[in-house]
Amino acid sequence: MTGGQLLGEAARRLPGARCAAEEGTVTIDVPREEWLAALAFARDTAGCDFFDWLTAVDEQEKGLAVVVHLYSIEDRRHLLVRTLVPPDDPVLPTATPLFRGAAWAERETHEMFGVVFNGHPGLAPLLLPDGFEGHPLRKDFPLATRAAQDWPGAREPGERAAPARPRRRLVPPGVPEGWSPP
Amino acid sequence: MVAVDLPLPRRHGETEAAPLPAWVRVFDAGLACCAVEVSAALRRCAGQLPGDTAVNVLVVAGTVTDKLAPLVLAAYHDLPAPRRVLSFGACSNSGGPYWDSYCVTKGADQLIPVDVYVPGCPPRPEALIHGLRLLLSAAGDRP
Amino acid sequence: MTEPPALDLDTGHLPPRSRGVIALLEENCTVCMLCARECPDWCIYIESHKQTVPAPDSGRPRVRNVLDRFAIDFSLCMYCGICIEACPYDALFWSPEFGYPETGIAGLTHERDRLRDWMPTVPPPPAHDPGAPPPREAQAAGPGAGPAGQAG
Repeated sequence: MTGGQLLGEAARRLPGARCAAEEGTVTIDVPREEWLAALAFARDTAGCDFFDWLTAVDEQEKGLAVVVHLYSIEDRRHLLVRTLVPPDDPVLPTATPLFRGAAWAERETHEMFGVVFNGHPGLAPLLLPDGFEGHPLRKDFPLATRAAQDWPGAREPGERAAPARPRRRLVPPGVPEGWSPP
Repeated sequence: MVAVDLPLPRRHGETEAAPLPAWVRVFDAGLACCAVEVSAALRRCAGQLPGDTAVNVLVVAGTVTDKLAPLVLAAYHDLPAPRRVLSFGACSNSGGPYWDSYCVTKGADQLIPVDVYVPGCPPRPEALIHGLRLLLSAAGDRP
Repeated sequence: MTEPPALDLDTGHLPPRSRGVIALLEENCTVCMLCARECPDWCIYIESHKQTVPAPDSGRPRVRNVLDRFAIDFSLCMYCGICIEACPYDALFWSPEFGYPETGIAGLTHERDRLRDWMPTVPPPPAHDPGAPPPREAQAAGPGAGPAGQAG
């Protein structure tokens, strides 16, 4: 189907969706309640038979945006389906009944962002070692090593190893202002 | 992991006065991109051991993640004597570009004793040969 | 499958701008700290102090930075080249030498003497591509300056 037809069908079947199309990629933003309906629409109506990836974006106060990239091999069209889950209730139904390939992607998104996928056959950590605490890809998880390690660039030109008087030190790149390791 | 028997090529002009013991058996723990460079070196050098004595070298090539660290440790302990460890590339030397990561072991020497460090990101295949030559010249009579 | 080329342990066959090791020309360094700040691995260690240089005649005395320590930790270095690109004074150079393994990891931190020792291995810059505009140095010299190959 053409891009225009796709947008029309999406508007008809997914009342809560906002669609945008640019250069061979269609992005469909849906509310959480229409998540599975949107994925089923993409697979069955829009012909997106190739599941590429599923991941999340930490939008901080707004919540966590979960994004899926699907591809239609016959129409050669990319489809991004996106939803937003609130930060205090990051729960979403699993996409595995529709796309088996989503299983590992959801495991990774769960351990990295803390999104819980209801109905997932086994939501165990995939890449992180046993006993790892926290969700590393959230924005409030800084890299502790960068704050703990002495930054060689913190010295000013001509300054000896220890500053003569305490002054506001340059913050190394990658460390949030005022953050110190626990 | 594959065991490759390696005769080490000589440098231009090197005499036979003090030849190195020329055979190593390389066990390549190819964890990431450095594995490609090690493979490129090994495929050009592989040969047939003339006897049955060779130094067993575990080449740790690539990023040692926290999840994979126990397996690297197990690979070292499974290696028969005489055994050496060669750390290939920045990630396995010290964590390299992932020194600040939440899930990377900052160097293979956090887990196992390393005999030779080969710097690079990734090092050239020829740098592996330099590293193996240093390893053999420094090997001594350690078991 | 084609036969792979034989391994060559020397550096003569390497293409220009090959990234083997970083050399330091200390005379050009003004201790601006840009390389240490831009390095993504934080592997450049610089220490310095300020020195007042009295001016001849009745000029104002100048203050300049004197380099105490310049070290690159090649166990961390990922050979990205950001330090060489960031240096405004052309004090850092690429050299194609790659054969410097060590038995101890501390040996992979090259202090400034060793970084200077790499300087003779730095190849001359490659010639400009044919058809390229003339280098800015030749343009600044005014009309009648020779082509790129003859400049300098």
